[in-house]
Formats: sequence, C-alpha cells, structure tokens
Amino acid sequence: MTNRAKLLTLIMLTLMAAGAFYLRVLTRRVSMEAPPFGEQVARTRLTEAALQSDTAPQQTATLYFPSYDQGALVTEERQVSWAKGDTDRVRQVLLALIEGSHQGYSRGLPAAVKIRAVFLASDGTAYLDFESEGLEDFAPGISSECLAVYSVVNSLAVNIPAVKKVKILLQGKEVDTLDGHADLSDSFVPDPSLISPAP
Amino acid sequence: MPQAFRRILGPKRVFVLGLILGLGLFFWPARTLRSDNFVFYFPTSRHIIALEEIGQAQYLPLMPVLNVIGKVGALQEKRRSLTVWFGKVQIVLRVDNSAIQVGETRLNLAHPVRIVNGQWMVPVDFVTTALPRLTREPIEYQAGSSRVFIGDVKPTSFSVRLDPVPNGARVTVQFTDKVNMTTASSNGKWYLFLGDRPVEPLESSFRFSNSYVNDIQFDDQDGMPKLVITPAASGLNFYPTVAEGGKVVVADVLKPPPSEPQRAVTPQPPEAGTAPVLEPLPGQGGEEMPMAPAGPALPVVVLDAGHGGVNLGARSRDAVLEKDLVAQLVARVRLAVLATGKYRVVLTRVGDLNMGFDERAVAANLVRPQAFLTFHAGNLGITSPRVMVYSYQPPSPPLTPDEAPPGLFVPWTKVQQMHLGRSRELALALHQQLSQIPGITADRPADAPVRTLRSVNAPAVAIEIGSLSVDEDAAVLTTPTFQNQIAAAIVNALEAFRGGHT
Repeated sequence: MTNRAKLLTLIMLTLMAAGAFYLRVLTRRVSMEAPPFGEQVARTRLTEAALQSDTAPQQTATLYFPSYDQGALVTEERQVSWAKGDTDRVRQVLLALIEGSHQGYSRGLPAAVKIRAVFLASDGTAYLDFESEGLEDFAPGISSECLAVYSVVNSLAVNIPAVKKVKILLQGKEVDTLDGHADLSDSFVPDPSLISPAP
Repeated sequence: MPQAFRRILGPKRVFVLGLILGLGLFFWPARTLRSDNFVFYFPTSRHIIALEEIGQAQYLPLMPVLNVIGKVGALQEKRRSLTVWFGKVQIVLRVDNSAIQVGETRLNLAHPVRIVNGQWMVPVDFVTTALPRLTREPIEYQAGSSRVFIGDVKPTSFSVRLDPVPNGARVTVQFTDKVNMTTASSNGKWYLFLGDRPVEPLESSFRFSNSYVNDIQFDDQDGMPKLVITPAASGLNFYPTVAEGGKVVVADVLKPPPSEPQRAVTPQPPEAGTAPVLEPLPGQGGEEMPMAPAGPALPVVVLDAGHGGVNLGARSRDAVLEKDLVAQLVARVRLAVLATGKYRVVLTRVGDLNMGFDERAVAANLVRPQAFLTFHAGNLGITSPRVMVYSYQPPSPPLTPDEAPPGLFVPWTKVQQMHLGRSRELALALHQQLSQIPGITADRPADAPVRTLRSVNAPAVAIEIGSLSVDEDAAVLTTPTFQNQIAAAIVNALEAFRGGHT
C-alpha cells in the first residue's frame, strides 16, 4: 500500500469515527428532547396568532358545551380575535373548548386533553389528532361521549365555514371510540339538531 | 499540493485531530431540554407556559409571560437586544447578558437571557425580579416551584397522612379550605382532582414505605390541581370519601375481597355500609333458568351487556361499576324475556369478559335476531333514575337508496344503516313502555353514533341508564325493583315491536 493510500485510509477511518461519535450525540439529543407538549404548542401558536391579530377586531365565536341534563348542546358566545388561517382558527376553537365554559356549562373535552396536530384537508375535513393520555377524564356514557364529540364538531363548523366534516384521531391513528361509545370510524358532519334552542 | 498537505497533516496529526473532534462532539451538551410547565394563577383564570431547561437553569419564554400579565404595546428586536414597551414601562434585554433594564431600574437575573428557536428566554427568577415592577398586583411565588399566584388569589394547601387499616391503608388529606373534588383512575393510578381553586402545596411529593401506597404526587402541570396516588400493587381497590364539608378526604386503599366466579358483585369496602351491593346475577348463580319451550324456532333477542373485563366503564361515587351493573340488568331482562316463552335469548357477553365491538356484532348477526339491545350506564346529569334509548346515527349522512351498494354485499361498517327505520321503531316502542314506569325519567329516543350498533344486522338500540358517575350514588340503579321494572318494560316493548312487525 502506498503512503497516499495509507493517508486516505486513515482520513476515511477518522471521519467515520467522528461520524459515529456525532451520530451518538444526535441520538442522545433526540432522546433527551421530549416531543413538544401538544397543548402547549397549540397555546403558543394561539398566543402568536393573538399577537399577530392584535389589531384585528374582536368577533363573536359560538361554542357549544354539553348539557347532560338536557341531553343537548348549549350555546355560549365569546369574543375572539380570529387568527388568519383556518387551521389556526380550528386550534382557537379547540382551545376555547378545552378551556371550558365561562358560563358554568359542563365540559365536553377534558381540561387535560392535549392537541397533537390539526389538519384541514381540501375537501373540508378537519383532522383533529389528540393525545390519548388526556382523554381518560370523559364524563362516561353514550350521551356524554356523543355530546362531547358533537360539541367539537358543531363548534368548528359554525365558526369556520371551511370545516365541513371532522375526523378525530388519537395518537395519529384511527380509533373505534374515545371512551367505548361514540363511533369514530368515520368523519362527523355537524348535527344542529343537538343544539338546545335558546331560552 | 498532496506533498504540502502530507507535510501539514500527517497521518498521526489527522488521527489526533479526528479524535479530538469526535470527543468534542460527544461531550458537547444538548443546549435545551424541554421540561415542565409553569402555571400562572390569576383570580379568575390560569395560564400554562412551558418551561425550557437551558444548561442547568429553567427558562420561560418572555413574550407569553408578558402576554399573560398584561399587554405588550410594541417591541423592537435587534440581533443582540430586545426592547419591549409594556404599558408605560420599557424593558431592555440583551442576549447572554443577565442584566436587564426595567424602566429606570437595572436588574440582575440569576442567569443570562437567551434566544432559543427565535424566542427570547428569561430565567424563572424573572418572575420575582421583574414582574413586581410590571404589575401592581401582589405576586406570590414559592422559590423552586412551578406556579405563581398573581392578584387576589388565595390558594389552598393540604397535608397528607397514611394510616394502616385491616387489609389496606388509609390516606387522609386535610385541606385548609373546602375543595370540590372529583376522582378518576388511569393507568393504574388514582386521581383526586381538587376543583377550580388554586392549590399551593407545602410539599409536592409524598413517598411511603407501605405495601399498599407507593407515593402521592401533587400535579397542576395542566392547570388542574390534582393528587396522583400510585398504589404499590395492581388490583387494589380505592374508596375515597369526603368529610368535613369538603375539607378532608379519606381514601381507603384495600385488597379486593376474594373473587367468586359466576358472581358479578361490586367490590365493597369493609367499613362502608352505605355502598350499594349488586346481587348475584340471576341465571349465573346456579339457580334453575326457565327454558324456552320446544317447537318451532322462536325469534331471537340478543342482549349485550356493555364493557366487561378490564373495561370497567363508568363508576359511581359509591363504587358501582358499569360493567357489573349492566351485566346484572341484562340477566334480569333475560329472565323476563325467557319467561314469556316467545323468544330465545342470546347473550353476547357471559361473565366478566372484555368483548370487542365486532365480536359482539358477529355474535348477534350469526343468530339473525329480531332485536338487538345493548345496555350501558353513564352520566345522564343530575336526574336519576333516568333511561335513554338510542338508535344508530352514522357520523356521516346515511346511505341514500341511490348510494346503497348493489347486490348482496354491504360494507361491514354500514350494516346497521340498512335497519335504521326499524331500529327507530324499536326505540320508540321501548320509550313508550319505559316512560310509563313511575319515578323514572325516560327521555324521547334519540339517534347517536353508538359504536356497538354500527355493524349489527338487525333492528338495534342502545339503552343507557343513569346517572352513573363519580359525582352521584348509584344505589337506586342497583335495586331489584328498578331493574325488574326496566325488564318488564322491555318485554312489553318487544311484544309491541313484534306486533307492529307482523
């Protein structure tokens, strides 16, 4: 082997060793940096959106919350500075529902629920991806689970015309139900018949 | 050129250089680590902001912090500095500099200001150092904690004690104020949600050397104060009770009583005399069952008890589990239906098994039933006892005749859509009978996307009794009187439905 070949071999080996070390460092960083906290990311985006739309006028958002006694959805209106994009608006509505009613209505989505991602497809289907961990605190039952789902679907559809259907995912995957009752195998269209008429 | 290269970087030098480079990369620490959340409590609201760990210090993003305590007027960002106008106060920060200017005052933070992913980050002591100069509201912050109370917030606190009791341990939590508490369980842990009041724990973690309870942790990372109780072993039962008007919680962590096969009895705490006891399931306790008479094939009614096995379903305040309650109700309905001598009955679930949705549908479809009834119990509000009847409503609009698939085959997910009309008739027949039971609220039948019904190839409804939730006692739902009334109404409804059918 010539000296030149020896030198090239040595350089190659050194680079491979350095690459191996660097790969290990990268692996360590990936494993140590936990994935972004979904809700927090959403909240941060909401904060950003609110900052961006600081000059935008406040508009009335209509939110629906479950009333287990009535077996229906009750309406709450809230002033919101809408973000520019529909996807951010979807997040705004979801976060408002997660925050809960200001008028003391029951909670549909548990406060601990975390949003992993939101997509709005061109056919008007809003894909909502939740972390399964925060969804254990549902009020149990057929009625309560279905009202929780439709509180989301109806709230999104009434505030964001681009949303025609809603598909709910958990951990990025299709699931049968949230808590053993409501059929999540298909996309949901809004059901206005569940909305309790204003008193 | 190669000669010059070889002179400057000989093989040994290249090797040493590569080694140094590799080791340097190996020991180069990750710059940021995502950590916990920081909760800002206000009198009527709370906000959660993610903490970042940079080096050994915890940091908060500046702009979200300023936004939760007030309104940012304007900001001017340069490459190495940031000026923020917050109300009438001007805040000036510089990257990698722990000194900041707040109005006329120069303040020193414990760690330098950083920029991470384009966000200006300030160390957590910004809360105590700078915030008092930015708001006139009182600020209460316990060093080292992840929460701050701003304004007229009076957080409650608590103490925890663990005492031995026969077959278990008793956790006593004493609060300084009344707490509206709810309970939940998840992943083998029990959660005591402490309501809407802010909580400032004196200690956040309690560890025990006990064979029943491992530890109790306070957690409000999602803005919801709660105690998380980790049992020392699986299979233990948890019986919380509230005393002194909500200021004391006593929770017994007990070994379950020995299981008795063929009996679906809700585990009872030895000392709790008030909890309802579910009787042995009729037909599963060894007693003689009425038999369907021999002769021509009788129409089949399929009864489906929801949940089962590890899928407990809902749970009441007095420890009644949905899976046990509906199994008992189904057993009574079965007896009542068989007693007519006009039907065969098929159960999808016999015993305490966790059956899948499709397993239930297959079991039903194989016998071509005249009716399929699935039983559940859940939160139906404050009115109790209450009964709801649901027929299936697909999440998306049902198939129109034009869209219906031609030929013999129907998609498995759309089978029930072929029976929606008859299912609604069955639901109406049930409502008419159930609404005649005195003392029971029976709502008008509703359509709902009940998953169990989706693939049933027969008229099918879901019957939900309630209210079964952790906020309510369920004793009334367990009584033979209530359950027999429901069973009798179902028998009458089946008769009416069959009459309308023939």
